[in-house]
Amino acid sequence: MSKDKAAVFVVAEQGETGVEPASLQLVGKARELADALESKVGVVLLGKNLSDATQKLIEAGADLVFQGDADVLVPYQAELYTEIIVKLMAEHHPEILLLGSTFMGRELAPLIAAKLETGLTAHCIELEVNPEGILEQRIPAYGGMITIVCPEKRPQMATVANGVFSTPALDASRSGQIVSIEVPNAFELRAQTLEVVKEEAEGVSLETASVIVAGGAGAGNLEGWHEIGELATILNAGFGSTRPAVDAGWTELETMIGQSGKMVNPELYIGIGLSGELQHMVGIVGAKVMIAVNNDPKSPVFEQVDYGVLEDCREFVPALTKKLMESRNK
Amino acid sequence: MIDFTFTEEQELFRKAAREFAETKIAPHVPMMEETNRGWDEVDKELAEAEMFAVTIPEEYGGLGIGYIGRLIALEEISRISVATAMMYQVFGLGIEPFIKFGTEEQKKKFLPKFATGERLATVAVTEPSGGSDPKGCRTSYKKVNGNYVLNGRKCFITNSHTADAQVVLAVDEDNPDAMTCFIVEKGMEGFKPTHEEHKVGMRGCNTGEIEMKDVEVPAENVLGGEGKGLKVAMAAIGDVGRGGMVGCALGLQQACLDASIKFANERILYGKPISNLQAIQFKIADMKIDLEAGRLLGYRAAAIQDAGGRSSNEFAVAKYYTTEAAQKAAKMAVDIHGGYGCMDEFDVTRYLRDSFVLGPSAGTSDIMKVIVSRWALS
Amino acid sequence: MLNIVVCVKAVPDPRIADKLKIDPVTKSLPRLDIPLVINPLDSHALEAALQLKKKYEAHITVLCMGPPPAGNIVRECLALGADTGILLTDPAFAGADAFATAYTLAKAIEKIGSPDVVFCGMASSDGATEWVGPEIATFLDMPVVTMVREIVEDQGDDWIVKADYGHGYRTVKLKLPAVLTVTRNLNLPKPLSFSGILKARSKEITEWDHHDLGDPVERFGLKGSPTYVTEMYPLESRREVQMLEGTLQEKVARMVKILSDAGVA
Repeated sequence: MSKDKAAVFVVAEQGETGVEPASLQLVGKARELADALESKVGVVLLGKNLSDATQKLIEAGADLVFQGDADVLVPYQAELYTEIIVKLMAEHHPEILLLGSTFMGRELAPLIAAKLETGLTAHCIELEVNPEGILEQRIPAYGGMITIVCPEKRPQMATVANGVFSTPALDASRSGQIVSIEVPNAFELRAQTLEVVKEEAEGVSLETASVIVAGGAGAGNLEGWHEIGELATILNAGFGSTRPAVDAGWTELETMIGQSGKMVNPELYIGIGLSGELQHMVGIVGAKVMIAVNNDPKSPVFEQVDYGVLEDCREFVPALTKKLMESRNK
Repeated sequence: MIDFTFTEEQELFRKAAREFAETKIAPHVPMMEETNRGWDEVDKELAEAEMFAVTIPEEYGGLGIGYIGRLIALEEISRISVATAMMYQVFGLGIEPFIKFGTEEQKKKFLPKFATGERLATVAVTEPSGGSDPKGCRTSYKKVNGNYVLNGRKCFITNSHTADAQVVLAVDEDNPDAMTCFIVEKGMEGFKPTHEEHKVGMRGCNTGEIEMKDVEVPAENVLGGEGKGLKVAMAAIGDVGRGGMVGCALGLQQACLDASIKFANERILYGKPISNLQAIQFKIADMKIDLEAGRLLGYRAAAIQDAGGRSSNEFAVAKYYTTEAAQKAAKMAVDIHGGYGCMDEFDVTRYLRDSFVLGPSAGTSDIMKVIVSRWALS
Repeated sequence: MLNIVVCVKAVPDPRIADKLKIDPVTKSLPRLDIPLVINPLDSHALEAALQLKKKYEAHITVLCMGPPPAGNIVRECLALGADTGILLTDPAFAGADAFATAYTLAKAIEKIGSPDVVFCGMASSDGATEWVGPEIATFLDMPVVTMVREIVEDQGDDWIVKADYGHGYRTVKLKLPAVLTVTRNLNLPKPLSFSGILKARSKEITEWDHHDLGDPVERFGLKGSPTYVTEMYPLESRREVQMLEGTLQEKVARMVKILSDAGVA
């Protein structure tokens, strides 16, 4: 591997305050992977007014930052971004290309992969270069972990959710090369984003909550779901969910904790009426105390927590909420 | 021989019926138990789900799916709510004499409206003087100027208050051997539903009495011909009434089995789920065996019906077997639940109470045996 | 006449599917008979097509890649209102990753010919990569919008849609032909009806294998997949659980103590 080559690339995203946290986390990981391959880290950043973000990316470990700075790049436009990035990949032939599992990344990654006719793994939890120099991509599935590889096609592509990898320490003394990329002027977009609109989020933010109450299929119905919500409120906790609860329509996808949802880092986690499916549990990183309430003695959730309550959540949760209110009022 | 598997299409019917029962009926069940009332839109929702069109021929606005389809739908509805299944089955029972014995005018007038649920039917045979003994019927008619005047009282009639076109069996005042079926419609002077029953089970299914005081019924409302009343009533009850009870019973058996399996897998005694104990396993096996057997009996009879044959005897066997089995299954389910089997929050208590009402509906078990022995000895 | 293609996947019933676990001894998946259902988000994709058909003249083709039992899923889609069904079934398609799956579906759509719109559920309940829609779009050289939550304008070739994005949504102007992947919030799928099931009797389901698609067999299935699974292993638990004991009220009291020790109650 040529030491001057950037074998590992990251598509970074400009967030609302500088650079998206997921992008910094990916650069940190890319640094590790590039070191294993004795190579450099390249980053693509598209948007407008990129100098702050670029600086942070270099401090996080990027050796080369390819900047596309133009009005047409804000907001994100799938076809244009794909065109630019695919061209860059064709020029540099990296071994690995990483993107965040952000809304942009989840659409952009497959567009790039299909154009380059290469493989892509979604929502990875672990990434490691093996002794043969191949990227091992691990995702949770079927109650365990599966390892996926893309042995021949290049680049090996993976997306990773925000929070899976830790944010690297920023080193202000690091330096890197900044390259300006050509942005096509009159690119015809068949799908054009006209505007991006923010919507009010309710309740305690899951990503920053120190206590999280998560509910699952065991809530039974909307009434049961509200009961769990009341417990979350009285504990001033973030109220998260698993996929079955989202599918049942009791809550929005935004509240889903897990591999393809939010990664959270609470001190205390209480899982109610959920089975402890790995796709959800990997979303909980480093909780000090974990508790589960479930009426199925065989539920896998009881193997992953510190305290277990074998009760129907429809019975236990209202009783607990009531007791907590009583002690509060004393 | 025979292929015992359901066709792809029949599996889709089952899926559609199951989705309907789980999404539209299930939420109302607790309320029905408490108030002994069906919910306001039950008839409208049954109609929207095309349930009433199942046995009505296409040329009269129905779907002509047939009796196997009907049994599938009943099983799925009953699994969620026996009360709703009973209501639905008796609406179907009321429709049947129109299909089998109606004149062209009567079919054109009533069947399309039954199919859309605009009008609802039922059959009124049972009286205080006997249901098992229909000849003991005291409701009478008198011919007056080419029309008929009816007097009498019917009891234990399902859909007594909701059905607006009722097939009433009456005896000729002057000739105790002549019986006729009349279509008595809401709005006819002198006809009114009176008392409503509070049953131990199937709560929310309207069962009650109707009263006829000098009700004038026009000649065009004679169903199946003067003097043919017993034949008309018994044909409908024998095939469709019994068939409907089979559907109610099978659905209840499945519900009992499902609840028992769930509880047995969750309840821990001696460190293990009780589904590991042979005593529990044997009860579950009994339920399963009865369910397998009952299904075969029911679908066999329905298949004969779909092929156009008479199936009252086969349905008598199936009705006897499944309604008795459902009562046993409900008791076993309650036993498996131990103390919890007596608590309102557990569905099995409702199953037990519902099972009681299966027995005497559309002919008691003893009557079924009379019919079957007659069949065997003939 | 709008030519609509809806891609559906037959998945193990999500309500039971979590019983499928890696066997700790054989380190592979056991053969479990979990019934197949329509991938829940694909029901929303089909409903979107059906709602378009109500407004404009349209022909809906349902396309499904799967083993022979997936034919029941196609039949169900016809009963729900689609006009034609195509089942892509062939042992050569097995082992396909998202790339090969999208490639296979794209070849089939090419064979169906000139679609105006392709609807897909945004993700499947058993794979959930979210890749297939965008990759199909790339192979067909069509634009794509993922996570569509509302179709604002659908007349003619110039559409306006809203899609989930960031902490809210984005509004996208879209030129047909195009691929849309849909979210649960787009619509409420109509239930299966008896009359729909009867109407499906006269509708056609065609089966295609790789010969019908024309490409060499190496482009499909495992051979055509850039990625594959090298190993699977069950996870060992890293915590020792303490089950609370006693009556419901005793457990509640104990829980309050645990929470207060943790500083929350």
